[in-house]
Amino acid sequence: MTGPALLSFGETMHDLATDVEVPKEGQNLFQLRSLSFSYADGHRALQDIDLDIFPGDRIALVGQNGAGKTTLVRHLNGIYTNQAGSLLYKGQSIQGDNLIRARRQVGILFQDPDDHLFNNTIYEDVAFGPMNQGLARDVVDERVRKALERVELDHLMFKAPNNLSLGQKKRAAFAAIMAMEPEVLILDEPTANLDSRQEKIFDELLLDYRGTLICISHDLLFLYGLCSRAVVLDHGKIHHDYSLKELVSHRASLREHGLDFTFRFIDCCHSSESHDHSKESHEHTESHEHSENLDHLALSQSDKETAVRIITPPMESVPDEKSQVIRLENYSFQYKDGTWGFKDINMTVKEGEKIAIVGENGAGKSTLAGCILGVKQGSGKYYFKNDLIMHSARGELWRQIGMVFQDSSDQLFCPSCEEEVAFGPKQMGLSPLELEKRVTEALALVKLSGFEKRVPMNLSGGERKRLAIAAVLSMRPQVLILDEPSANLDPRNEELLLHILHDLPVTQILISHDMFFVNNSSHRTVVMNQGSILSDLPTSDFIEDEHLVGHQLDYAYKNVCGREIMKMQEAVENGG
Amino acid sequence: MAIVAIIIRRLLKAARDRKAGHHHRHEHDWSVPVIDACSDLDSVFHKWDPRLKIFSILVYCFLVAALTKIIWAFCALIISLAAVKLAKIPFRNTKRRLMAMFGFLGMFLVIMPLTVPTQPGDLLLFFQPIPVPFNVRGLLVAIRIILKAFAIALIMEPLLNTAPLPVTIQALRHLRVPDMICQMILLSHRYIFVFLNEANRMYTGMRVRGFRQKTNLATLHTMGNFLGMLFVSSFNRTQRVYEAMLSRGYNGTFPVYTDFFARPKDWLFGIAWILLGTGLLLLDRTGAFIIW
Repeated sequence: MTGPALLSFGETMHDLATDVEVPKEGQNLFQLRSLSFSYADGHRALQDIDLDIFPGDRIALVGQNGAGKTTLVRHLNGIYTNQAGSLLYKGQSIQGDNLIRARRQVGILFQDPDDHLFNNTIYEDVAFGPMNQGLARDVVDERVRKALERVELDHLMFKAPNNLSLGQKKRAAFAAIMAMEPEVLILDEPTANLDSRQEKIFDELLLDYRGTLICISHDLLFLYGLCSRAVVLDHGKIHHDYSLKELVSHRASLREHGLDFTFRFIDCCHSSESHDHSKESHEHTESHEHSENLDHLALSQSDKETAVRIITPPMESVPDEKSQVIRLENYSFQYKDGTWGFKDINMTVKEGEKIAIVGENGAGKSTLAGCILGVKQGSGKYYFKNDLIMHSARGELWRQIGMVFQDSSDQLFCPSCEEEVAFGPKQMGLSPLELEKRVTEALALVKLSGFEKRVPMNLSGGERKRLAIAAVLSMRPQVLILDEPSANLDPRNEELLLHILHDLPVTQILISHDMFFVNNSSHRTVVMNQGSILSDLPTSDFIEDEHLVGHQLDYAYKNVCGREIMKMQEAVENGG
Repeated sequence: MAIVAIIIRRLLKAARDRKAGHHHRHEHDWSVPVIDACSDLDSVFHKWDPRLKIFSILVYCFLVAALTKIIWAFCALIISLAAVKLAKIPFRNTKRRLMAMFGFLGMFLVIMPLTVPTQPGDLLLFFQPIPVPFNVRGLLVAIRIILKAFAIALIMEPLLNTAPLPVTIQALRHLRVPDMICQMILLSHRYIFVFLNEANRMYTGMRVRGFRQKTNLATLHTMGNFLGMLFVSSFNRTQRVYEAMLSRGYNGTFPVYTDFFARPKDWLFGIAWILLGTGLLLLDRTGAFIIW
């Protein structure tokens, strides 16, 4: 007979010998002095970091991809030991008993939730930390249930993690940290790839948290409501340590560190304030029209040019006479377990059109893309350029449709960028001369010329995303599908990606939770919910749609943040 | 006739697929049966103390492995089937496992009759134009191996599928299996799904760029890259998981414990299994049914 599964701990628990003095008010929780760290390959991730973190601090740790943010926070929990310099937690170096204490009191949420969910049920995963803290069985049980209830996963308590969606996994991993009731909470990109509903849940949970918070994110609008202090890392060094308000008010500083996200809220905020204005100026050229829209922002001329080039809403719709590239009629997809990926979808995509598919996690967006791409087969009629796609034709769709996956690592497997980009054209049987031409052309298109011999794995996140796009573009597809292209990209890389996509002369299908990206790169937006199409509108109409909240696409909060930040920037730039 | 039968079978299957709304016949199935999927059912095996269950069934397996006669190996297979039924495990899962095994073991039926050394008294059959004699003893040896393998594989279902894996692992720990091995089993089972998912996504990434497996050097080269990248990403994942465990206070031991309590009937059930295995072995060795 087995007793109640789990939850007891035995002789293996490590009891701390002595209590470490809790820092007094004003005394620092962490003290970092000249902290440096290099990886085994010689890459110097941190250089001479001096930082004090006080109890109750709410810090936004920001910087470009590869700036050293993750490396720094892994020191605070004792995962990495300091190679040079000193790091004190509550006045003592992080080793011995104080290392154990730090690991039990400093919770760190990794970017990929699968790293945290290593047990066979969610319950065990959440119980893992509290049990390591040496708590009694009933206390652990109470904490697990409470933590799961707060993230709205109590009904999935005894499910295996592999049965959960990404959003659920992220919340389960968060519950696993919160069940330890940490004094310090460190979050690494907590909302990456999440829809707005899931993001809101995180936001509310974090607002309730009363301990010391350190949050890494590229989403400054998300951080703006949560944090008060900003630490900016650049190439392993601390460049700024001031209030978050100061950071977001200085566009020059944001741009210097590749964090200028204002290209996003120029757009997010235009809807209510400058909508009428944009309507009036229909007769002007597109550039002139948007230049006028940007006047009130007091941007520099170069900033305006950049913004004008990127911001193109509302994109002109594709003329009706353009031929249909894709047509789905009553198309459905059912998984092997009987659940529907989507049901009775009717949709058309015209040549040269850029459409966005949006909806909450699990709405069926990626499944639909898989069917269009030909890697999944549903039932119903699928026409590509008026040809009905049957099984044999499905296997040949790769020649005409390319897809850039959400995680670039899924499609980068060659030892050099050159080979990676040449892989697709090689499968098409092109001549070596043509291959070389296409590789050069595709790399130039994504601004990766000169990267031919570089190893894809060693590139930064943004570079890898662009390489994945080049690997598809070299096949010259007629339709390009992009699944969450802006996920995990810093603002600079995101802006660059917007440029690249804007100039691409192919039909594009964009799957994204990022409304700013959607608004700037699509003519039309299809909203999916639980496997059905809820609406199919021109993107400009979609953005103005008051029913976004009902579609789990509530961005009102971010728009408010955006407006606040914009006002602050205006004040600073006007010398106020 | 055989060809007609195959065609009819395929047509029937296609019709069944259409009726069920499934069109996945040509898609790769990367799914792995979850080892403890039936742990929430209720049967005599589910109620049995996991420590005694593991010990007695493993002893039984060794006894079955020692059988030398087909008839008793067949009896062991029947006992295993009965145990699966008793444990209320759906035969669909079991069939999948057996079919996978048969893909490998089935080759024995062809290879062994043609390769076993000929001994005095062996019945040899000659099929023209095959120059090698077909040794019937080899065929019987192959059948015996398959029967025993199936019997043991089947009994693993009531052994592993009737308790949550962490509980089974905990029972192993009570039986003095080293902690490190227990943790490795637990983590392997959890992450096999993550790795398969990664492999699946990467393979899809290759297919959408036109990769099709062929018997040529280019395929070997690409598969080499694929496996290499999979290894690297798995290694990185392992590192990150370990760091996530450390960050939550892991100190080398999984703090997952379960209370076990062996009732008298658990002991009796355990003894009965060992006696059953011993009985089969005694019958096997008493000389009855010399050939079979």
